[in-house]
Amino acid sequence: MPFPDSALSDSQRSDRPPSSIAGIMHANLPGGVVMIREFRGDLSITVKRETWAAAAVLLRDHLDCDFKLFLDLCAVDRQGRVDRSERFEIVLHLYSVSTKRHIRVTTPLPESDPRLDTLTKVFKGANWFEREAYDLFGIVFRGHPNLKRILTHESFVGHPMRKDYPTARRHAPGKCAERVLDVPQDSQGMVVNLGPSHPSMHGTFRVQLLLDGETIVDAAPDLGYMHRNFEKMAEARTYWQIIPYTDRLNYCSPFMNGHGWALAVEKLLGIKAPPRAEAVRVVLSELSRVMDHIVCIGANVVDLGAITPFFVTFRAREAIYDVLEACCGARLTVSYVRIGGLAQDVPEDFDALCRKAISAAREVIDQADRLLTRNVIFVRRMREVGVLSADDALSYGWTGPCLRGSGVAYDVRKNHPYSGYEQYDFDVPTGAVGDSFDRYLVRMEEMRQSLRIVEQALASLPGGPVIVDDKRVALPPKSAVFENIEALMNHFKLVFEGILPPAGEIYGYTEAANGELGYFVVSDGRKCPWRVKVRPPCFNLYQAYPRLIKGGMIADAIAIIGGLNVIAGELDR
Amino acid sequence: MTMRLLDVFRGKFVDPTYPGVHAGGDVITTRLDAVVKWGRKSSLWPMPFGTACCAIEFMAMSASHYDVARFGAEVLRFSPRQADLLFVAGTIPDKLAPVLKTIYDQMPEPKWVVAMGVCACTGGFYRSYHVMQGIDEIVPVDVYVPGCPPAPEALLAAVMKIQERIKEGVRQSEPQGAHRLGASGDAVFDRRARRAAWAADDDARAKQGLAPRGVIAFGNPASGVQAPDGDRD
Repeated sequence: MPFPDSALSDSQRSDRPPSSIAGIMHANLPGGVVMIREFRGDLSITVKRETWAAAAVLLRDHLDCDFKLFLDLCAVDRQGRVDRSERFEIVLHLYSVSTKRHIRVTTPLPESDPRLDTLTKVFKGANWFEREAYDLFGIVFRGHPNLKRILTHESFVGHPMRKDYPTARRHAPGKCAERVLDVPQDSQGMVVNLGPSHPSMHGTFRVQLLLDGETIVDAAPDLGYMHRNFEKMAEARTYWQIIPYTDRLNYCSPFMNGHGWALAVEKLLGIKAPPRAEAVRVVLSELSRVMDHIVCIGANVVDLGAITPFFVTFRAREAIYDVLEACCGARLTVSYVRIGGLAQDVPEDFDALCRKAISAAREVIDQADRLLTRNVIFVRRMREVGVLSADDALSYGWTGPCLRGSGVAYDVRKNHPYSGYEQYDFDVPTGAVGDSFDRYLVRMEEMRQSLRIVEQALASLPGGPVIVDDKRVALPPKSAVFENIEALMNHFKLVFEGILPPAGEIYGYTEAANGELGYFVVSDGRKCPWRVKVRPPCFNLYQAYPRLIKGGMIADAIAIIGGLNVIAGELDR
Repeated sequence: MTMRLLDVFRGKFVDPTYPGVHAGGDVITTRLDAVVKWGRKSSLWPMPFGTACCAIEFMAMSASHYDVARFGAEVLRFSPRQADLLFVAGTIPDKLAPVLKTIYDQMPEPKWVVAMGVCACTGGFYRSYHVMQGIDEIVPVDVYVPGCPPAPEALLAAVMKIQERIKEGVRQSEPQGAHRLGASGDAVFDRRARRAAWAADDDARAKQGLAPRGVIAFGNPASGVQAPDGDRD
């Protein structure tokens, strides 16, 4: 029995018919649009490679389109697929805050000439994404200012995400790259490496600075120190087996990544988890958001030299760990979510544990608030450093608390409610200036709002099953497997054959702690996805980092990076 | 009771079960190296080289709830020059490997290493093109802590294991897995076989004038693609 073709949820659809965008595209790019299709509510437009940059400019600037938020750019290798004439495909995801629409623009590229015009002049955020596509797929972007490897090390040979590259093939690493920054010949400045082993760079970030005294003249980040190939390995795993890998993307709030992945696959399948599972997901996601913001603020103030708030805030984390541990047995990397629901029902004392965690979190948030928000040293370190305007933030592709700190009230939970967020009453805080202090304030308020959501969800926690009753997706209960042959066969078939989704492409997105966490999943109907691209919120945040620290002092650079909450596992994947 | 330096030698703070410590009446004789070992084991200065998820659990261990200070190892140093215990907490991709090696080399002797989590021990479930399959390919490891990530209790156990090793005076000096890195040494699992197969494949393709698989053939007239350098605006 095939999965239905209709879209999963009406809330993820927009009121505007897609035909208007199609009409605009056809009118302004005569002959440039190859195909327009809609699958599961995702609008996808294929353009010719000659009109690639023009299409991006049109979508950004046309008043009825207004796709100003750059989300993601990636490549797909179609080698061996019969349904595509060309080997490569470049995929661009954009979002319009005003019309609340996502759009996907793709263009095919032949293997013999994988070259495309760069979008770096259209979107500031495209720079690193194009470098990534060059590094992993060998796509050459014409006019790119700095087309170098970004994730793999210097001695690497080949483009690992191509289908003919063996997954486990390593190349012996050489030395660390000496020079990342382009220093002018006549420069009198000093070049200093900030990281990778620097206490505020968390072991895996490296920024090369050109200094004039203590002032930062120029900066260039070097990333890839935590590139552990989630996307390549996901191509050889079934949809279930990917869940543990998603836990390790943003490891400060692992449950939210799994939640996003389950929703993305459910969107691909066209199914919906039962209400109880969705409510529990919301509870655990919001507690994870509190946990994430606690680490962000705690680590930020440790970097600034204050250890007490770190010790204070970590007490709430332990209370939240207790909730997660009672649910699934693991503290941090939980793997609790399943496609179509949850692994098992929550324990009996779930409500009591959650309330304990809520009161612990409330207590430490208030305590941290008293310690920090009016603390003169903290305020002076954070205020008016790292200012980014709303327009630039959109162009860089910022989402989440950082974008809201810059004054744009875009929250996936409000704009495109998923998992029943439309039932809960909560506010979306925004900042006014867009500096590090605003980002801190937004995070503090978001934690309080999250606790509000948890309380509402607990008060109205529905009963019923926690996983969808569908033998193509969910394993039958163990008791049934032991007792009747049909359940045993279903179990056997599901384990061996996996979940078989329809062929198609979807972009599933949720509001993770750092911003919009998107999964672009390409399925060819087999048990493993053909391609999984994570849209990591950190990648866009970190890309603006050199811009934020230029002209400031080294001490400001430390204050800024803590406030961005860049997580290496998500940044480099 | 006021603490005086001589009390240490009188045995008031020396564990009489120590090797080299002899208790007899009011007088305890000991060897200097036993006292030094006792001092070392009771005031470890760990350097956390935390890279990934394990670093979060490392933070939990050093925070108030689990409190590694109870074992005398709470003075976290972020400079390898001031540390004698290296905690490698997290995956070490190939790009980070030279950094880890440099940090290890910069630590003063004597030094101990804990590989925290399966990624640091064996590469974990990241068996892929950019991840080191265990840090013992480049640095010697004294204690492996399995888990993904290990619970803070397991880390405390690792600290106690290190203390035991200090007391016994044993220390790993050679990277145990160095033979896995290169082609020399005995075949380990099937990695060498795989490498040999890939090398043979590369050679066969080279004979046909083709680049290795997954490599873009810039400047190859057959592919018609020019190098990106000549293509800048």
